[in-house]
Amino acid sequence: MRRGFWPLAGWLYLGLLAVFSLLPMAWMLITSVKTQFAAIQFPPEWIPSHPTLDAYAELLSPGREIGRVFLRYLLNSLWVSTATTVLGVIVAVPAAYAFSRFRFPGRNLLFYGVLLRNMFPAVVFLMPLFIMMRFLGLVNTQLSLILTYLTFGLPLSIWLLKGFFDNIPIQLEQAARIDGASRFKAFLLVVMPLSSPGIIATAIYSFIQAWNEYVYALTFLNDDAKLTLPVGLQHFFTEYATNWPGLMAASFIMSVPVVAMFLVLQKYFVRALTDGAVKS
Amino acid sequence: MVRHRADYLYVAPAVLVMVLVIAYPVWFTFYLSMFSTPPNLALEDKIFVGLDNYARILGADSVHEASLNTLVWTVASTALAFVLGFGAALALNRPFRGRGLLRGILLVPYVISAVAAAYVWRWLLHSDLGVLSALAMATGLRSQPFNFLDNTDTVLASLIMVNVWKEFPFVMIMMLAGLQTVPDQLLRAAQVDGAGPWQRFWHITVPHLGNVSLVTVLLLLAANFNGFTIPWVMTGGGPAGASEIWITQIYQLAFGRIRFGLASAYSVILFAVMMTMGYFYVRALVGRDRAS
Amino acid sequence: MAEVRLANVRKGYGEALAVDDLSLSIADGEFVALVGPSGCGKTTTLNMIAGLLEPDGGDILIDGRRVNDLDPKDRDIAMVFQNYALYPNKSVRKNLAFPLQMRGLARAEIARRVDEAARMLDIGHLLERRPRELSGGQQQRVALGRALVREPKVFLMDEPLSNLDAKLRVQMRSELKRFHQDLKATIVYVTHDQLEAMTMADRMAVMQGGKLQQYDTPERVYAHPANAFVASFVGSPAMNLIPVRVTDGGVAGGGVAGGGWALDLPPELLARARQARGGVLLGIRHGAIRLLPSAAPGTVAAEVLTVEPTGDITFLNLRLGDTDLVASVPPEQLIAAGQRLWLTFDMARLHLFDATSERAL
Repeated sequence: MRRGFWPLAGWLYLGLLAVFSLLPMAWMLITSVKTQFAAIQFPPEWIPSHPTLDAYAELLSPGREIGRVFLRYLLNSLWVSTATTVLGVIVAVPAAYAFSRFRFPGRNLLFYGVLLRNMFPAVVFLMPLFIMMRFLGLVNTQLSLILTYLTFGLPLSIWLLKGFFDNIPIQLEQAARIDGASRFKAFLLVVMPLSSPGIIATAIYSFIQAWNEYVYALTFLNDDAKLTLPVGLQHFFTEYATNWPGLMAASFIMSVPVVAMFLVLQKYFVRALTDGAVKS
Repeated sequence: MVRHRADYLYVAPAVLVMVLVIAYPVWFTFYLSMFSTPPNLALEDKIFVGLDNYARILGADSVHEASLNTLVWTVASTALAFVLGFGAALALNRPFRGRGLLRGILLVPYVISAVAAAYVWRWLLHSDLGVLSALAMATGLRSQPFNFLDNTDTVLASLIMVNVWKEFPFVMIMMLAGLQTVPDQLLRAAQVDGAGPWQRFWHITVPHLGNVSLVTVLLLLAANFNGFTIPWVMTGGGPAGASEIWITQIYQLAFGRIRFGLASAYSVILFAVMMTMGYFYVRALVGRDRAS
Repeated sequence: MAEVRLANVRKGYGEALAVDDLSLSIADGEFVALVGPSGCGKTTTLNMIAGLLEPDGGDILIDGRRVNDLDPKDRDIAMVFQNYALYPNKSVRKNLAFPLQMRGLARAEIARRVDEAARMLDIGHLLERRPRELSGGQQQRVALGRALVREPKVFLMDEPLSNLDAKLRVQMRSELKRFHQDLKATIVYVTHDQLEAMTMADRMAVMQGGKLQQYDTPERVYAHPANAFVASFVGSPAMNLIPVRVTDGGVAGGGVAGGGWALDLPPELLARARQARGGVLLGIRHGAIRLLPSAAPGTVAAEVLTVEPTGDITFLNLRLGDTDLVASVPPEQLIAAGQRLWLTFDMARLHLFDATSERAL
């Protein structure tokens, strides 16, 4: 009786939760393959009677107005996220390595940095940064976003990478240094190859963060041509009607790569994200 | 000693950047909160007004209403996300086929862009065309469409549901990691000593999860307190301010009405509340460490 | 090969001194074991010789040259780690080749040396495998191979056998010893296992609390421990150390007394015991205790608490007055718990330590 009850309850619970989790994604997909007319029926068509990829075709055709705009936002988002990621890795890797390997006063600053970053309201930073960007002439440039994402992403990136470096036995580097490698070469030839999954995971994590970011993009950019995808989605609302299939198709295109990347690498993220909390 | 100094070089850039983007903005917000700023952002024309901005914020009725909303939003979101996520972690904390896949499915809300999620939920909760209304009608629960977001009585609850949907996976992975640190030997020893599943859970598992739960709850509280995207995209604080919380009000004040001075004072208040929470939290953590 | 010299080396972590004014000379071709309980500073010492840690004070010399400021790569040393530290993403062949590549040797020369090391250690058939596909013993050999391809001046070994199971450890012990004899290599070997140090080393440096306690051949350390710590650390089971006080009178003019028993000492021992300022610790190994079935002059009575046969020898836990001690008998001699026996000590193998300073008297 007892043996049967708990697992059954667990399954039921997980099943309901899975439905809850997937419902929005599912409805996003279903709406995106409807025509505008079919999308605004009530009660809704649960399964589209005439599925169509028109919304996607429109979004991806540079000849159409909506496609031109969407593709531009897509490229903007790609550029901002990629630049943030590459710069972030270049800065975070040496810092994380130092935090992992060297003992010096102030190491705990990192932990507090991560915590503080999470505790401070984004709005507190928004105004001064906006004024600073204005002063630097960077308002309405994508560089302002890249710089902001970079600095805000750093503590967490360093934290994640430190976790990966911590898992590489220090004796490997010591062996390499005794075998004739300089400190830098030992890092390059021994530590880097072993931590590449961690570096990739961290890079993808910061990519996702930049890709999904909304508040700063909303505030710093006002030129239509420069918007990133999350802010650009508002284009599907007009005064008269909302292009729901188009909005859902755009959301789907925006979400799928990110979700897929995350799921493929989930074990790295999960470990890295939880390590600190579990140990401390 | 020489080597120590070289060690700092590795981290100096990162530390400098962090000081610059954390310390400077915090200071500047304090500074600006003492000034009345012109709505055209010509900051050289600002006028020193002392604590006037604070008095105006603390005296405003709209702020009082938003305070209650903020409290409900923060506490309810945190509690529900924690319960839902902890349940999922417990259910997932045993080996079975397809466990990785299920965990992946449950993680989807956490990774998906908050903006995209907010739009989809807006669509699911649409007053005339929403799927949830249709589902309620199809199952005979209601006879006509239900207004989730255009109804001052239900809008906040709807937003909380969406927020919980977005956050429970985070609790799940944190608690799952915590559960995996519970020593198997202890559980087996308790079983040998005659403890039932519920007693094992209560006397061994729960005490082991103390720290990770505290960290998780803190991070959730902070995230919810600062939660912006979901309320902003879904309702913008409406209807009639029924889903207005501090953070959306501050944003509206700063970038809708361009009142940076007032918005700064409001930010400082919010910041002070957060720090107070953080203080009690750290004290609780330290107290626990001493006790154990 | 080379000699290694440490002169007044110091290293601290924060407040605590991990290594305190350590001076040590290791001759060319000598096998020296640094031995002591965990936290005694032996690994810190080894890491300072390797250049992985910088001493706070003192000098480290290899072949007469001060190497304090040299990087590990420039010290011409090789090291074998407790966890082997094999590069997990490289094959065995590449692991062995790595130190040679770092030194920029020609490809043909690298191949020749790798093959030679592989043959010497009998790991030729493993060359294409990854470390995780090897057993613990095989990994150990590869680690050794990676050290010896280089033909370094000094081999440093940090508990290289402690991750092996008991049987393999005994086998590797004799292999390491043969390896040392064949190569005439200078080896500094860190271990917490006094038996490893005893069986392999030419000389052993016993450390505790960051300080060198005694530095001598295993035979002399065993026979003449410099202090009570060395006496109790070296040898298994540990030497019996019994707190006693010096007494006057009696036939011999004096002796020692413990709780509930007394013993006369010969004049020479008595004179040494009288040098102690406070009490005396009487040290006696299990093999130096003789057991008689009945009372005789100069014996003390003891009760058998437990009997522990090990095959070659049977250990007895005895209660003498208010202290416990370990003695041994041949396995043929049948003794039961609870039995009463009379002990005499082999006076030539009796050790006396000052109870306050713990120094040998």
